Amino acid sequence: MRTLLLALLLPLAMRAQIALFTVNNGVEAPIGAVLDLGKVAAGDTVSVRIRVRNIGTATASISFFFADGVGYTISRPPLPFAIAPGSPQDALLSFSQSTPALLYPANLRIDSDTNSISVIVIANVVVGPALTVFPACTGSNGPPASVDFGLVQVGQLRLCNFSLQNPGAQDMTISTFNVTGAAFQMSTGPSPPFTIPAGGAITFVVNFAPSTATTYTGALAIETRSYNLTGAAFNTPLPTPLLEFDPGSIQSAQQRRLTMRLPTAATYSASGSVSLAFVPDTAVVTDDPAIVFLATGTRSLPFAVTQGSTLISIGGQTSAMFQTGTTSGRIRFTLSGVSTAGDATTLLTIPASTISIDSAIATRRTGDLDIQVTGFDNTYSAGVMTFTFSDISGQAFPAGAIRADFTQNFRTFFTNAQAGSAFQVRVSFPVTGDTSGIGSVDVQLTNSAGGKTQHLIFQ
Amino acid sequence: MRLLLTIILSAGCACGQSGIEVPAVGAIVDSTGALRQVQGVAGSFLLGPAAVTGVLAAACSERLCLAKTDSKTLSPTGETDAPAGPAIFALRGNDAIVFFPDTHTFARWHDDVLEPLNRVVEGDVLSIGLKEIAVRKNGEVSIVDPDGSVVDSIPDASGPLLLLQKGVVFATEDEIVLRQDGSEVRFELADVRSITAMGPHYAAIYTGDAVYALRTESGREGLYRLPGSAP
Repeated sequence: MRTLLLALLLPLAMRAQIALFTVNNGVEAPIGAVLDLGKVAAGDTVSVRIRVRNIGTATASISFFFADGVGYTISRPPLPFAIAPGSPQDALLSFSQSTPALLYPANLRIDSDTNSISVIVIANVVVGPALTVFPACTGSNGPPASVDFGLVQVGQLRLCNFSLQNPGAQDMTISTFNVTGAAFQMSTGPSPPFTIPAGGAITFVVNFAPSTATTYTGALAIETRSYNLTGAAFNTPLPTPLLEFDPGSIQSAQQRRLTMRLPTAATYSASGSVSLAFVPDTAVVTDDPAIVFLATGTRSLPFAVTQGSTLISIGGQTSAMFQTGTTSGRIRFTLSGVSTAGDATTLLTIPASTISIDSAIATRRTGDLDIQVTGFDNTYSAGVMTFTFSDISGQAFPAGAIRADFTQNFRTFFTNAQAGSAFQVRVSFPVTGDTSGIGSVDVQLTNSAGGKTQHLIFQ
Repeated sequence: MRLLLTIILSAGCACGQSGIEVPAVGAIVDSTGALRQVQGVAGSFLLGPAAVTGVLAAACSERLCLAKTDSKTLSPTGETDAPAGPAIFALRGNDAIVFFPDTHTFARWHDDVLEPLNRVVEGDVLSIGLKEIAVRKNGEVSIVDPDGSVVDSIPDASGPLLLLQKGVVFATEDEIVLRQDGSEVRFELADVRSITAMGPHYAAIYTGDAVYALRTESGREGLYRLPGSAP
């Protein structure tokens, strides 16, 4: 009995070495005697993935693989080709015809060295629906056929009006009718399945409602046809940010606070950079390296604003401190990385001023009087200094003021240092005799903005 | 290394030859452990390039800058083997007293020589002067003499502290307090981690995200943030 069964089964297995399937979304479905492609709109192309699987235990050699019929083509490897046991080989069966007819048949036949398979393929070519898109959207017949919704502001809605006509002499049933893709949505229109009478039309509307500034794609599927939907969204410019500073007149050698806000709430979250640049009044230097944001020691900080807020954070803080340096000129604050309704550029003018004395000391040595002054000259024009010495009772010595011009020394120093106008100047006066009777000195430093006098007691 | 320390010292020193130069107010240790000169004037500071690296602590006075690496004490004129870990300095003229917290020992520094001092202090040493020592014990901050006798107390000092020649700077939870010559100035500042002598007229205040320069001259007190100086 067992021998007989084996004898019966073995030839059967040999004959059934290859089998045919359709593949849809990765799912195999066996093909029977007839493969119906259904209704195909005239001029459209419908394609079906065909899978030839070797279900036997020996390699199959495929010698014939054709779809014999008007309008049918098949895309597959050149003949002959082999399929290993258990392995598949896919091919693409396509059909297209421009003339409507009830039946377009074909004979799909595959021959291997062990068995052959024949399948009847049929298709019904009908007059397809005609899609019309109205402005402001634009359409293209492609390929691929597409509809562009254009450029839309984030948060706004663009409606596209369509008309779907049945140009044929028979009623047309629409079973597949949907929209896919983020931001695209069918707004008004019939639900499938529905019928368009011969010569009739239906209208429908598709919405495009982008939520972020980017490009979008989607699809409008009508029966066998698919139309690419495209659109892009942009952010509206932010209201022009207001750049504000803590109260008080702006001067050199200050650490000031910059805050930024919007006059109205942001309609979306945004981020960018705030930068400062400096243009000195003087030609002696080209910049002042002390003019920086203090948090980083740099001239640029990131900023951000969240949707619905007027507050702009700078470097993650509610404000940013910066130094005004020691040079008169203009500090320019600019924003980048965001689109704003107006130019937010803000200028701070650092006015020229007389020499500022940070500290000063006069010391008495045997044979020398030393005067040291630390300060800055934001005009870079310092040079003339006068020294008026007084005795310990405060009476000026009759010799009067001693004038010295250090203009070239200062100019050389500023040019070489390129570190702003801060300076420490030391001046020594050789003295013959006893210095203990010298009590004080009035030091006057002069620049283009005027003179500044400092009274120093000798120590 | 010696040359760089010399540059830092001389730029901040009031003595020397006549001329014009960039003013320096002292030095700080940045987040990478590099000693950097602080240049400029009040309200407009620049940090000089990294001088010495691997610095755990530093202090500068009018005449002297000392830095501590893990195993050395550095000066403008040389280096000296020292106990491991950071150090707390008290500088006067060309001399210094140094406290090494890891070994809880004191030494006198002079001409690149460290001489151990026989001082025993109970509690956490916060700052030292040439004589007096600020210690925290049982949550209370006291100023004690080397023999341990209490000469003063600072009940509201809850954070770091620095003894000045004629006063003290200390941190509370949200303020820096500068107390000297019978007057007191307060600045809002939270998260203070340490206070060191930046230079003759400035203290360096290290917080969690920045370094500040506190001007300590009477009548010219001010608190400034140093640019790009995250510790």
